[in-house]
Parts: sequence; structure tokens; C-alpha cells
Amino acid sequence: MFRLDADRPVEFCDGLRRRDFLHAGSLATLGLSLTDWFGLRALGATDGSRDVNCILLMLIGGPSQLDTFDMKPNAPVEIRGPYKPIKTNVPGIEISENFPRTAKHADKFSLIRSVYHTAAAVHDTGHQMMQTGRLFQGGIEHPHMGCVLTKLKGPKGDVPAHVLLPRPIGNTGGNMPHGQTAGYLGKAFDPFVLNADPSDPNFKVPDLLPPDYLTALRVDRRRNWREMVDKSVSEFETSQDARLLDSTFHQAYTLMSSQKAREAFQLHHEPEPVREKYGLNRFGQSCLLARRLIEAGVRFVTVNMFETVFDEITWDIHGSKPFSPISCYRDLVGPMFDMAYASLLEELAERGLLSNTMVMATGEFGRTPKINPAGGRDHWPQCWTMLMGGGPIKGGTVVGSSDDIAAAPKERPVTPAQVAATVYRGLGIDLQIELPGAQGRPVPLVDRGVEPIRELFS
Amino acid sequence: MRLLLLLAAPVIAQQLVILPPAAELTGPEARQQLIAEGTAGDHQEDWTCATEWSSSDPKVATVDEHGLVRPAGNGEARITARAKGLEANIVVRVKDAHAPFTWSFRNHVIPVMTKMGCNQGACHGALAGKNGFKLTLRGYDPEVDFATLTRQSTGRRVSLADPTASLILLKPSFTIPHGGGKRFAKDSLEYRVIEEWIAAGAPPPTPADAEIRGLEVFPAAATLAPGAEQQLVVRAKYSDGHMDDVTRWVKFSSSNEGVATVDDWGHVKMNGSGEAAVTLWYSSRVLYSRLSVPFPNQISGEAYERFPRHNFIDDLVLAKLKSLHIAPSKIADDATFLRRAYLDAAGILPTSEEVENFLADKSPDKRAKAVERLLERDEFVDYWAYKWSDLLLVSSRRLNSTAMWAFYDWIRESVKENKPWNKFANEIFLSSGSTRQNGALNYYVLHKDPIDLAENATQAFLGQRITCARCHNHPLEKWTQTQYYEMANLFARVGVKNGAAAGDNVVFAKTSGDVLHPRLARPLPPTPLDGQSVPLDSPEDRRVAFAKWLTGQKNAMFSRTIVNRVWANFMGRGLVDPVDDMRATNPASNEELLAALTKDFIENGYDVQRLIRTIMNSSVYQLSSEANATNQSDDIYYSKHIIRRLSAEVILDAMSQVTGAPTAFQGYPAGTRALQLPDTQVKSEFLVSFGRPARNVCDAAERSSDPSIGQALHVINGDTLNKKLSAPEGTIALFLKLGLSDRRILEYMFLSAFSRYPSESERETLTAALEKAKLSKGTEEARRDAHRQALEDMVWAMLTSKEFLFNH
Repeated sequence: MFRLDADRPVEFCDGLRRRDFLHAGSLATLGLSLTDWFGLRALGATDGSRDVNCILLMLIGGPSQLDTFDMKPNAPVEIRGPYKPIKTNVPGIEISENFPRTAKHADKFSLIRSVYHTAAAVHDTGHQMMQTGRLFQGGIEHPHMGCVLTKLKGPKGDVPAHVLLPRPIGNTGGNMPHGQTAGYLGKAFDPFVLNADPSDPNFKVPDLLPPDYLTALRVDRRRNWREMVDKSVSEFETSQDARLLDSTFHQAYTLMSSQKAREAFQLHHEPEPVREKYGLNRFGQSCLLARRLIEAGVRFVTVNMFETVFDEITWDIHGSKPFSPISCYRDLVGPMFDMAYASLLEELAERGLLSNTMVMATGEFGRTPKINPAGGRDHWPQCWTMLMGGGPIKGGTVVGSSDDIAAAPKERPVTPAQVAATVYRGLGIDLQIELPGAQGRPVPLVDRGVEPIRELFS
Repeated sequence: MRLLLLLAAPVIAQQLVILPPAAELTGPEARQQLIAEGTAGDHQEDWTCATEWSSSDPKVATVDEHGLVRPAGNGEARITARAKGLEANIVVRVKDAHAPFTWSFRNHVIPVMTKMGCNQGACHGALAGKNGFKLTLRGYDPEVDFATLTRQSTGRRVSLADPTASLILLKPSFTIPHGGGKRFAKDSLEYRVIEEWIAAGAPPPTPADAEIRGLEVFPAAATLAPGAEQQLVVRAKYSDGHMDDVTRWVKFSSSNEGVATVDDWGHVKMNGSGEAAVTLWYSSRVLYSRLSVPFPNQISGEAYERFPRHNFIDDLVLAKLKSLHIAPSKIADDATFLRRAYLDAAGILPTSEEVENFLADKSPDKRAKAVERLLERDEFVDYWAYKWSDLLLVSSRRLNSTAMWAFYDWIRESVKENKPWNKFANEIFLSSGSTRQNGALNYYVLHKDPIDLAENATQAFLGQRITCARCHNHPLEKWTQTQYYEMANLFARVGVKNGAAAGDNVVFAKTSGDVLHPRLARPLPPTPLDGQSVPLDSPEDRRVAFAKWLTGQKNAMFSRTIVNRVWANFMGRGLVDPVDDMRATNPASNEELLAALTKDFIENGYDVQRLIRTIMNSSVYQLSSEANATNQSDDIYYSKHIIRRLSAEVILDAMSQVTGAPTAFQGYPAGTRALQLPDTQVKSEFLVSFGRPARNVCDAAERSSDPSIGQALHVINGDTLNKKLSAPEGTIALFLKLGLSDRRILEYMFLSAFSRYPSESERETLTAALEKAKLSKGTEEARRDAHRQALEDMVWAMLTSKEFLFNH
């Protein structure tokens, strides 16, 4: 028996008040995973006719808009930086010379050059806002967009609905949550985290399959005996963590028995030239894995390009240790992104997946227009560029613009909330719905007055 | 006579008070909002809107129908409130009613700009300002802001000749376009303050200005009805003795929006049951009001009466539960208590023998005796040494082997001799010399620069995260940037040089060196956060000043922090949560209890073991985790024991104990338990997966106890548990060799893993399952294998069950 209760009755938009969010009988009998169940009881809020997937590339560290996608070659030298723009395959759109392969696929994505936020200029706030659409306040943790999708639509088949590659964002200095979990939706909707490095020569999903010395009969027997031994001691019914433990076991068994999931993670089945095309590094191989996961039925893949900004070369080019130098955009980070992103777009398009898979790439903020004394740039949430394409999102356009020095939006400012609204619309989710928030209080999916970016849809 | 009085008493006691209980208005612009706070039975109500207000002398002070008092002439008046048939009054003193008055830049204009958001991080308070106009974040430096406003962009921002043409009026009132939108209307008080200040010649802030000394909030605490609304009033006190109602310019926020939300004007709405702290920030001062709504339960006094009280912990927890209308659960049974006590105090399970003996013991004080025995065990020392190693970041990541062992051994020795916590801290901060001889000194090998030292020391020992103040005044706390650099300068003269042997360093006090304040470009006198400055040129080791302040009697925060950490270990949640976030805007869930525990700790020699004993012997610690009708959703106030997953190391060791198969750790002798490892870099897939911290930063959140699919996969398919179950020298193999019956083996496993006997139905069901799994025919060997595998699978099921993995 399995029950998840709301602390108080919650009124759903179908007018019914439910004391219990869900009431699942023996899940094995029903043959359902928890998330399947949620999918069935979905709030009537999704358009199942056209499933759209999403890949979110989190460019941890915060790329400088002036050195990547919003070049200002005519600005003074202390603003424009060391890099030059190059043309792309879309007339009128130019990006940094460090992205030559991406420049050949500008028709597959659009640039939003006027993204900004008004919260504190630390990494964590940007992570929260770009992944959940909201800033966390008052102890409330909003869910990642991929987790919302998991709750509303459930998984497709045996694979998880939302996968996080390769590892969660770690220490970026702010001591705040990063918005990479399901928050008040409950840990049952957290993404499946890979926790391994796909570029590792011995890469495999940790412990996905039973060892040779355990027969399938024994694996099954153990599963049944565990449920037998673990009769709900009544204390555990009120413990969310205890119920979550059962949920994780159930999801683990589902994953194990999924041929599709196993196959998707077998990166060594990819031809070597393909692996090299993406780049034989953690980010490149994560992008390749993302493509495979989408093919296997995963709905949402989040890829963290880096896990920390300390003592590692990332987009966070303050110019002095333990952060990165501006030259790394040419030497390491730029090429790493260029190879992986271009390959991903190319391959998705070739396989007919791009038309129903949104691909987004964004950092948590932009960087200061004026180069600092250390030769780098500092945090600048006032204006930056993000990339969006695939699915119903148009390619080859530019939304919004910044001023002469990319310090502030000039036209069409875009907030993280609007970006999230755009993603939800692209995923086919009704923007009017409410999610069950903390203590049972309904939270609108999108705040009143927040509109998706019309210009990105045809 | 008495009988008459009883008959005449109202059914529900009602009372009316006015807050603040006395008011002082200084100057013609002074105002004071009053609140009419009624008490109806057991809760308070805000009656301000239903109150008739009157002044005894309108020539001195007037009061409007909303309870706002204005000055009219010098003297004293009484303001009376009449509501619901009750009456109350307060004295109002008015001074300088007709004295010449000018708005103060420091005390009025800056707060206006802060409240209106002009100098917030998103706008002109950003590092680079906005649109060429930069203010200090939240006005932390009025002198700099004054110069920016009046000298830069001369005559435009502040126009003395034509005040209403000043940009700082035109823009925020949206008379001309403003990127930040309309912040205030032309007829608002905020507009008037700035306009009149400019018209008065834009007088600058001066050292003679009255300085804010503190804040008061009314009501400071209240128990309210569900869905109630309550207005808060905030008053500031100044160095020259005068007081101002600053409610309008305070930044409000709620610690728990599920319980209470607050708007920009300090108007609170209670949304749910429980307690919320409404925190307020004004001029870098913080304070909070505690507002609560009891749970909708009817509880007889008897439920509280019959609860067994062993010590002051029980008294204070019960008081809180009573005020919230929650009844405590029953006391846990012996088996539950024993397992919990062993795990919480020493990170081990009791052996099956220990369980059987304890359950059979009839002595009335057996629980207290069990606690005493636990405090004596080696495993107790291991467990707490491990815990403090988490705190002090002991690992081979940045310490070589010698240094790491020296550091760990010092910690372990300290736990073993129950070194008082103040002595423990002093040994780190007061010593010099060889890191090999004094393991504590490896702290300086780990944290090399003054910034790192200042931040780490405050986080580890005071639960304060001061990082934000590195660049500006702390937005959530009272620490200023100045205080940050004064603090950092305490550690500017710590020298570390190579010692005689490899892995040996020498820590010494340098005679020169300073940390410069980044903007002032000069060093500030070394000063511990709230403490006394040390002269810049003093030759004394500056760490001495830090240590004296840190562990001094007056520094309650030092003791509060360690008390909270120890409490959280046993109770599953700190009185302050997160356990290492002791900021002023994050109050305790039971302040009276934390204060009492802290006082007890300080008065009894900072004795950690004694604190542990006090906690473990309380009834509150021994509560069952089973909910009753009133406390299903309580996971804050300790009305029932909080169920939590065991930590990674404890689980691994417990699995080893039950299966009789220890874990092999590379580089460590066989039989080493996970809790005996000094190093979180030791390779272990299991430990990483189950949330072992990396010990990179001093942050309790580094250790995770969230279940995950990865963990489930690891125990299902990974080698760790599987190999233990099939270990040839393990318990299962041994019992089979001894020819024990399935019944007996099961009983042993239950006692070992769950610290209890299996119930009759459990015995039946599980032995039946084992029978079915055995082979009825086949070779001797095949039948033996099948039997062994069945047992392994059964034990696997037990070791992955909730009852095993959780402390309940």
C-alpha cells in the first residue's frame, strides 16, 4: 500500500478536493510506476497529441555575451574583448570566431540577446531562475522544468522522464539551492542523476545490471521478499523520506528491466568518429548521451557543462585564480561547446528528432562589459544571450537586442520567467495550471502576466 | 465574595493592550503607528481597525482613526483605545514639536532609497551601478552615496536651485522615463522627504548624526487565530535617545511562507498552523517577530500532565507543544530506544546479545545505564571524532598523510578525554609550533589565507556565513563589509613554513602583514565580529584576540552553535535549521530551549558528553516516531521522533556488522570500520553514493541523506552488499556450518539488524518463504547452495528495508 498525502486538502483545477494526492495499490499488480500513475491522473493539463522533448545545456559559470553570442566589434577595446565575430549560415547573424561549427547551424537555433535578471549576481540565483523560472524565497524550492514535466506527463515507457548528466551542480560559492530538483513536488519527481563521467573509457551507469552471480530469479525473489519484510511499520507512513526510499527501489527495478534504457547508456555502441565529433570530454560525451536518451524516450535531459567554478576552467572568466582566464574561451571552453552543440543539433536534425526536441543553452548570467584589471570579466546578470531552438521554436532568428556595449537590453527585455513560460508552451503544457506547492498551497505554473516569447513560435 | 467574582468572570478572558506600551515623538515629522492588540482567550488579535482612538490632549498629540499618532505641541498626552467594550491607554511624550527640522540624509534619505529599491543589487546598488549611476548596496556607505548624488553629474541628480527638477525625483516618480519604473508617487512621503531634503540645501551626512542603535518590533511574539491578519510596527532607537517609527521603510520577509506571509508594509497574514518568524531588516539591523497559529487540535491538559519529565528539556518542549496544541506521542519501546541510542551516540548497532540482555533487564533505570555504557565505548569516540573531522575538513585532499593523521589523532584524543569545547577551539587558535606535535595546527595548513581562515572559523564555530560581506554589507545579516575586513585582519599574520620532516609544518605568528579593505585600500584594526578591536600596531599574536572573544563567556553564539549541532545529531533536526545557519534572520524553533541548553552548557564547563547525556536521558529524546491524531505533520517541534535515514558510514558499518563481513578499505588494516577512517577521500562507491561529504567546504549540506535511484541500484546490483552476504567467513556461512535452524537464524538476524525479536507472524511468514525457496531434491551441494542463497536473499531483504536503513 502506498499513499502520499497532502498536509491539507488541495483543490485541483478539476474542482475536486483531494485529501490524498494519490493512492496507489500494490504497484506491482497494477504494473505501474509511480510516475506512470501520475501521468494517468495528470491534471488534464497536457496535450498528449504531440510530445515535445527538451535538452537543456547549463553553461555553468556564465558565458560572457560579448565574447560569445553578442559581439560588439565596434566597441572600444576595453569592452569588445579579444575575439572577433564570424558570419553564420544565416545572413545577418554573427557569433564568436570560437564557434565555427555552430556557425554552420545557425538556422537551427535562435538567439535571445536581452535576457536579464534582477536577483543577486551570484551563480546560484541564475541556476534557480533558468531551471525553474523563479527565484527561491522564504524557504520555498520551486521545481526544475524537467521535474514539472515528469509530474505532468510521467515517463515514456521504462526510461526515466528526466535525466541529469553527468552530475549535479556542486559548489559555486553561494550556499543556495541550484533549482535542479523537484522541490515541493516531492523527491519522487527528481531527475535520474547519472553520477558517472561518460567520457571515461570504462563508462557505464553505476550498477545498472545485476552481477553474474545473481540470477534473475534471485533478483526477483529479493525484490518480493523485501516488500514482505518491509511491511509498512506504521511510523513510516508519515515520513516522506521513508516513502521515497520505496519509490527509488521501484524506479531502480523499472530501470533495470528496461532494455531501452540499458541500450541508451551504452555509449561504446556509438562509432568512434561520432564520439570524436562531439569531443572526447565530459561535456561532449554527455551531449551525445543526451541524444541517445532522447531517442530512447527520455523527455527531458539536463546537461551540466561543469559542476563547480572553483579550480576548474569554466565560463567563469574573472581572470584570476581559482577562476578562469578569458583565453579559455579560445583554448578550451569555446571549442568544447562548439563541437558538442553543433554535433548535437546536426545529429538531432539528421535523425528527424529536432522537430520535436527543444534544445536550449544558457548560462546563469552574462559578464561585465568592461574588462577588469585581471583581464577578465565579472558577473553581470543585467544582460546576456541564450540559445533556443528545436521543437516548435523557430531557428535562425534573433529576439531582442542589447545596447552598444551589451550592458543592458535595448529592445524586448526577456526574464527567466518568460523563458520558462516559453519552454512550457513548447512542451505543450497549459500555462494556466497550478502545481501543488509547499504545505498544499497551489502555485501557478507561471505567474500572472508572464507570457512566452511569441517571436519564437511560428 | 469569591464565589461572586467567579460568577462574574467572563467566559472567555479578554484584554486589550496598546503597542508600543509608551511612545515618544521627537520633531514635527515624527509619527507613531499604534496597534490595539486584544487577547481573546488563548490567542491575540489585532483590533486596530475596530478601535476608537482618542487623545487626552490634541494640543500635544493627535491620533487618527487608524491609530496613527502625530505631534502637535510639546508635553505629554494619553492616547486611549476603545474596542469591544475594553479600554486601554498609553502615555505619549512629544518633544521639539515646533523645532526646526531637516530630513537627515543618513537616517531618512538613505532608508527611503533602500526601501524604494534604488540601491538594491538589481538596480543602482549593483557592483557597476546602472546607467552610470552607482549607489552602495542597500546604502551601506552614506558618505559615498552623498558624494555620488551631489558631486558627480553636478546639478542634475540633485538640483539645489530647483529641487523638483532633480533627477532623483523626476525618475523614480516617473515624471520622466525611468528604467526602474515608478518607485513612488509625487504625493508620497518618500517624494516629500527627498524634495524637502534637497530644498534644505541637501545637507550631508556627518559624524554628528544620530546613529541607529537598535530596533524593536511590536508585537514581538503573538499566538494568533488561523487565517488571522496582524500589522507589525517597527521602532528604531538612536544614539541621541530619540525613537522613530520606521515601519514604512523596513524590509519584511517570512521564514516560512506556508505559515505566514508578509507584505511590504508589515501586514502579516497567517496561512497555516505552526510558527513563523517574520524577519525585518532596516539600516543593516535585523530583528524578527514570532507569530504562531496553534494546530486545530483539542488536547486535554492531562495529555501534558502525564508526560514523564526527566529534565528541563522535557519542560521546555512540552511548553512549546502546549502553546501549539500538539500532543506528544508515546514513549518508544525498549527495542526502539536501544537501537536509536546506539546509532545516535556511537554509530553502531547493538549486538543480538546486547539486545536480548537489555530487553530482559527488569531494572527501572536500565535506559540511563545503557546511556552511561555507551559514553564509555571506543565506538563513541570514533563516531564523534568522525563528526568533528567533518567539521574541520580532515582529508587527504589537501593534507598529506602525516598531517592528516596528526590532525585526526588530535581530534580523537580530544573526544576521548572529553576536552571542553572551549579548550578544543582554543587549542586551534592559540597554538604555534610543529603541526606534527600539535595536530590541531594542521588547521592552518588547510586554510592558508586570512579570508579563508576568517570564513571557515566563523562557519565552523559560530555557524555564521559571512562570505557575502566580503563585497558589501551582508544582505541577510547584520555584518558589514567593514566588520568582515576587520575580522579577516585577525588572521593576517599567521605564518606557515616547512618543518623539519616531510608533512611537518611550523605555524608561527608573523610580525607584519595585513589585509586591506578593498575600497579604503588600508588595513582595518583587527576586530572579532562583535568584539573589541586590537590596535593595528600591537605586537601580540592577533589570534589571541580572536580566541579570547570566540570562547569568552559573553559569546553565546559559540556555545549555541555546538549545542545545536549536538542536538541535531540526536533529534534529527537542529533547533536552528539548517544546523550551521545561525544567522539572526533564521531563528530557532524553540528559542527558550536553545537558550536553556546553551546556558547549561556554558555553566558546566562546555562539556559535550554531559550535554549528550542530558539529551539522551530526556523523555523527548525517547519519544516514539509514531504519530498520534494531533501531530501527523509535525516535523519541527519534536512531538514525535523524527525518522531519518542513517548516514552512509553508519549504514556500511551496520551491514558489515550484521553480515559479519567487514569492508576492505584500501590502505587500511582489515576490520577498519568506515567510522574509523580519517579520510573522506578513501575510495568507496557505496559511501559516495550514500552521501558521504567530500569535506571541501564547511557546510553541513555536503552530507546528503536523500535516497536516490543510484543508491537503490547500488545495493541491488553493486558488489558492496552482495559480497558481504556471500562472504565465506560471514555470519550466514557460519550459521549454516553450525547447523542452526532457519528459525534461529532469522531470530538472530532480527535481533542484529532491527534490535528486536520477530513477531509470531513474521516468524511464520519468513520461515515459510525460506522453506519454499529450498530445493526438495538434487545433490547435497545443490541443496546447500540453494539454502545458502535463500538465506542471503532474506538477509538482503532485511538490510534494504526501511526499518534497517532508517533511524526511527
